[in-house]
Amino acid sequence: MTDFAGLEPIAMDFSGAGGGRERALALLLLSMADDEFVIGFSDSEWTGIGPILEEDVAISSLAQDELGHAQALYRLFVDVVADGRDADAVAYDRPPEGYIHARLLDHPRGDWAWTIARRWLYETADAARLAALAETSYEPLRQLVDKLRREERYHEMHVDAWLERLAGGGAEPRRRLEAALTAMGPDAGTVLAPLPGELALVRHGILAEPFAAIEARWRAVTSTRLIGLGLAALPPTTDPDHARSGHSDAFRVLHADFTMVRRSEVGATW
Amino acid sequence: MTDPLALDPVLPARERSQLPFNDDALDHDERYRHFEEHVTAGGKVEATDWMPDEYRTQVLRFVEMHANSELMGVLPEREWIMRAPTLRRKLALTAKVQDEVGHAQLLYRVAEDLGKPRDAMIQDLLDGKTKFHNVFHYPTFSWADIGIIAWLVDAAAIVAQQALRDSSYAPYARTMKKVCWEESVHIMHGRDVVVTMVTGTATQRGAIQEALDRWWGPLMQMHGPRSDRAKDRDIHWKIKAKTSEELRQEFLGIYVPRIRELGLTLPDPALRLDEAAGEWRYTEPDWNELRTVVTNHGPKSEERLQFRRDNWAATQWVRDAILRAPRSAA
Amino acid sequence: MGEAAGAVDAIEPAGVLEPWEVFRREKDGDPMRHGGSVMAPDATLALHYAREMYSRRQESVHLWVVRRADIHDLADLDLLQPPLDRSFKKPGGYVMRDKLAAARQVSGQAKPKANKGAR
Repeated sequence: MTDFAGLEPIAMDFSGAGGGRERALALLLLSMADDEFVIGFSDSEWTGIGPILEEDVAISSLAQDELGHAQALYRLFVDVVADGRDADAVAYDRPPEGYIHARLLDHPRGDWAWTIARRWLYETADAARLAALAETSYEPLRQLVDKLRREERYHEMHVDAWLERLAGGGAEPRRRLEAALTAMGPDAGTVLAPLPGELALVRHGILAEPFAAIEARWRAVTSTRLIGLGLAALPPTTDPDHARSGHSDAFRVLHADFTMVRRSEVGATW
Repeated sequence: MTDPLALDPVLPARERSQLPFNDDALDHDERYRHFEEHVTAGGKVEATDWMPDEYRTQVLRFVEMHANSELMGVLPEREWIMRAPTLRRKLALTAKVQDEVGHAQLLYRVAEDLGKPRDAMIQDLLDGKTKFHNVFHYPTFSWADIGIIAWLVDAAAIVAQQALRDSSYAPYARTMKKVCWEESVHIMHGRDVVVTMVTGTATQRGAIQEALDRWWGPLMQMHGPRSDRAKDRDIHWKIKAKTSEELRQEFLGIYVPRIRELGLTLPDPALRLDEAAGEWRYTEPDWNELRTVVTNHGPKSEERLQFRRDNWAATQWVRDAILRAPRSAA
Repeated sequence: MGEAAGAVDAIEPAGVLEPWEVFRREKDGDPMRHGGSVMAPDATLALHYAREMYSRRQESVHLWVVRRADIHDLADLDLLQPPLDRSFKKPGGYVMRDKLAAARQVSGQAKPKANKGAR
């Protein structure tokens, strides 16, 4: 079982969330929100410099969708912890080590193949996670997950179309795609790494099954697709106990950038 | 400049509608006369119509510069997408910059259908052979710049674009309707950023005033020097309807009161409304600066072009890849 | 997109970015109208891009993309607006006022009052 390594500074923030259920629920919501927030930031870097104009507009919509999802999830989180912070305060006002997004999302934007590989790995894992939350007993989350899944369907169509085009687009695109999958593959499973307190989530009907089962399902689906495209199946997760902690320098740089204006005048309204 | 002879109509002649100038049997001068008569009487031109080379190149140059400006206009704001201070601001700014890319797409499509391929237009832009608007050659120093750009640069642009919704070149006119509809939200976003900051801390308010001081010069230059209506070929062909000065007057008329309403000061002591003449008076903008800047010698011209060149080169393999990839019959 | 996207997926890539015309329905009950065009290498991406260019503000409920090269064009006014009289095809081609007046005179009937609610 994963310990709280690296998650402790966050866990201590849950002053308003009492009991195992609330604490585990808050952690789940925050992990999902941070995932969407960070991938939304990385993808938004493409706005204005996409490979073709039409695709530029498309990737920007995807980034906006992810950020919108992050916003909705942060709102659920602040409702649970009820410590006086609003969604923006949670999204922006933590130190870099306070974020609990999956290590997969710690990689810098990279080239288009990296973006597609990361998006594909994340979207497929996120889809598996959302499927396990479709019937969640926490009603606000159930309503949100229903909407998220309807929006994520387009994301999966888009990224899978690109995965296929890069895999079959000639030597260079394939080489780049393989390099990206090789580099990020060992981190892909971090999105579905077990969360502290997840047994409480399962017991209370918030999560359909433990993350290990969700991950197994996801690995079966992704392997079929990757092997079908002549690509290697994903390797097991490296260092699964630190799936959501010990963030990279790339994330620290990103963090410095996205907090810059907000830090310049603490407490101001923007 | 593009060689007019290289610009073939998109559809073959037999498919063009039967306006007199589309009659291939007529000689060039007669067609030209019919075309001029049609356009100056308020007639519209479609991409598939015959048109004199002068009209085609004139529209193309106009639309291409507009498209370039949208594409380059992305860069000053893009840097701040990562720094937007709240989720809502981040979403709004990303969507705004996305719209600019979208408008570049719409405009390059109009220009492409006049016969110049998109790659050629991008290459000419990267090579410095074609231009983009002066305001996109300047740096953005602070979040306050983002507010001022979204409010006032977009306002000045919208004043110009609204006057293009009745352009004689129908595909351009239609595009302008969509663009104006989409851009109206940019002004709201920008004005909201500005109003929030002027009602915030003293530092925030100071940052807005500084940004306004910085941008006022380029804003006054943006529509260009006064020109002689009778000699303006874009007006002759009804590609556009208003002169630079008419646009500037319209901009000042709407926005000076809205700026002053916020207690902000405009950095031009001579700026006033001459009630009798119904015209704004102002210190003559620095036209040398405008010329210097739009010929790619502005403070950020080279850096931004180089950034575009680097990114265009870095994504060439992607464009190549999607043209090669076989589809599976899903 | 669903079925449409699946159905068109089999189209081979053109090897060039080419224009696809986009048609959109703004709300239920409206006709499809031409929106504009996108450049795309195939139908799947053309639909993705149509969605971005013509519904990212949720302004459409239905989109079509058609490869421009597949559009057949007719703008010949001799065919579309033939010059001879076609008034017999239009309601305005039937002018009966004087004949009705003559008929009433013969029958001795008054002109009926306008029937509100009926045309």
